[in-house]
Amino acid sequence: MFLPAGSQDEVGQQINKRFRAFEVFTEITERRNYQPISTPVVEYAQTFTNGYTGMALQPMLKWFNHEGEIEVLRPDWTTAVARALVKQSHSEHKWCYQGSVFRSDKPGMESRQAGIEIVYAPSFLGESESLLTAADYLQALEVEDYLIELGHSEIFELLAAPLKLDSVQAERLRQAMHDKRKDEVFQLANHAGSRTIAEQLTELVDAYGSVEILEVYEKHWKNNQHLLEIVEHLKSLVKLLNDCGIKGILVDLGRVKNLPYYCGTMFRGYLRENGSTCFSGGRYDKLYEQFGERHSAVGLAFDVDILADQIKPAQKREKICLCAEPESHAFAEQIRTDFPDKIVDIRYDLPEKESKNYDRIWEITRKGNGWKAVER
Amino acid sequence: MKPCIALTKGRLEKQFLEFFQSLDYDITSLVDKGRKLRVETEEFQFVFAKGVDVTTYVEHGIADLGIVGEDILAEFQPDVFNLLPLPFGKCRMALAAETGINWPERKRIIASKYPGITKEYFRKKGESVDIVKLEGSVELAPILGLADGIVDIVETGTTLRENGLVIKDEFHHYSARCIANRSSLKIKKELLSPVVEAMQKGVSVQ
Repeated sequence: MFLPAGSQDEVGQQINKRFRAFEVFTEITERRNYQPISTPVVEYAQTFTNGYTGMALQPMLKWFNHEGEIEVLRPDWTTAVARALVKQSHSEHKWCYQGSVFRSDKPGMESRQAGIEIVYAPSFLGESESLLTAADYLQALEVEDYLIELGHSEIFELLAAPLKLDSVQAERLRQAMHDKRKDEVFQLANHAGSRTIAEQLTELVDAYGSVEILEVYEKHWKNNQHLLEIVEHLKSLVKLLNDCGIKGILVDLGRVKNLPYYCGTMFRGYLRENGSTCFSGGRYDKLYEQFGERHSAVGLAFDVDILADQIKPAQKREKICLCAEPESHAFAEQIRTDFPDKIVDIRYDLPEKESKNYDRIWEITRKGNGWKAVER
Repeated sequence: MKPCIALTKGRLEKQFLEFFQSLDYDITSLVDKGRKLRVETEEFQFVFAKGVDVTTYVEHGIADLGIVGEDILAEFQPDVFNLLPLPFGKCRMALAAETGINWPERKRIIASKYPGITKEYFRKKGESVDIVKLEGSVELAPILGLADGIVDIVETGTTLRENGLVIKDEFHHYSARCIANRSSLKIKKELLSPVVEAMQKGVSVQ
């Protein structure tokens, strides 16, 4: 029997490390007062593809139910959690989840995530808490060499707003910004009537790198109140992170949103070692507008598969074998409790070639009417 | 650590090296590389691969930058930064058919190495076609009766003419492009910016 491309069986350390990543996430989120929430793995496609959420149907794992509606395996947590939270008490602000998402354009189709959602909280508090939870979690996993990137979806939108673009051209411009394709950004914006905006957007493509860029653009946009406020906001986040000892921060002022519901600060965590994205998220107040609610919402999701790979193997524990038989099994079970910190296995039969798998071997033998354990 | 650049083997490789030399980079070890697929110079690591594989290496972060034809990017749409056009590898995408033959009344059959680009082109025209995917020598398909026409890249048009085909429509103009891995460009900005900027200046000069 074979496995489909990308799927794999897992054994031993690989699984232990992922469980550890989930365990640590639970410890951290409990300590920071998040409430756990879970949503079903099967949802209506409409939940994710409507005008507010705007996800593409194509990569979702989907089928028609008996009423002809399209159902999908959960492709995204944030949208599903938003749907669920509308029915929850508004006094709870901080939520956490863990589980799989499914998309056919990802290797193996299943990826494991753990994430947080903060709703109804003041904007700065929500964003700070998201980023500091990320830092806390990564520190607990002993992942130290990472970078946090900050961006803001409204910068591009404000600069591009005066352009006369139809929806197809607007999407082409957004995609060209996303791809840092300066020649097309310039051409589209220039063609839409403004060489000045074309030049501003082209410059924005390159506005990424260390946090010093914020100083440059603070001067650059000193006469544009809205853009200046965004820069000040990002600077405040950087200061808070710095004050908390987090120094590895990047900014990308030219970042654009990939989903329509993002509406402000966006963040991403990179592992410096291999460039993997270990978390991503941002502000998405607009997601709740579909439920007639207007309030703040921010969060991020960790890629547990990537983080589990970073976890160092657990310290090797001594492995003990108790050689027993059916009659002495209960006695062996009692002996097991004498070694609470060791790995203790009970065997009825131990072939010579397997004995090397254990550090110590104890034989359970008869002693009068009872049993005794003798180290081999 | 040196930046890793993936180059498309063959004609683009030669044209890139000439361009790179014009930017005052030393290409001696790259010209004399023999059949080696990986070459390290004082400043860079280079890997040599087929165009579509260049995008794979860059997308997966094995290579930081890549030099690849825009036709490959349009067809496979890899998740990479598509930074800038380069002043070589220029070609256009065209629909061609046998000279003097009228299109059939039925749904047309089009042969192409680029089924994605072909599908998008006919969708924009509002026409349904059947696409036959071929790996090369696409010009043969109409001659041998496999397809009514072809969609392929054209540089000079000589191959089409010599095989009795004529261009019916041209719809994209392409060149070689410099692409970058989405994380590398940001994490290794200090390493990558000088070479990307040098290429950008080289493009502006030409």
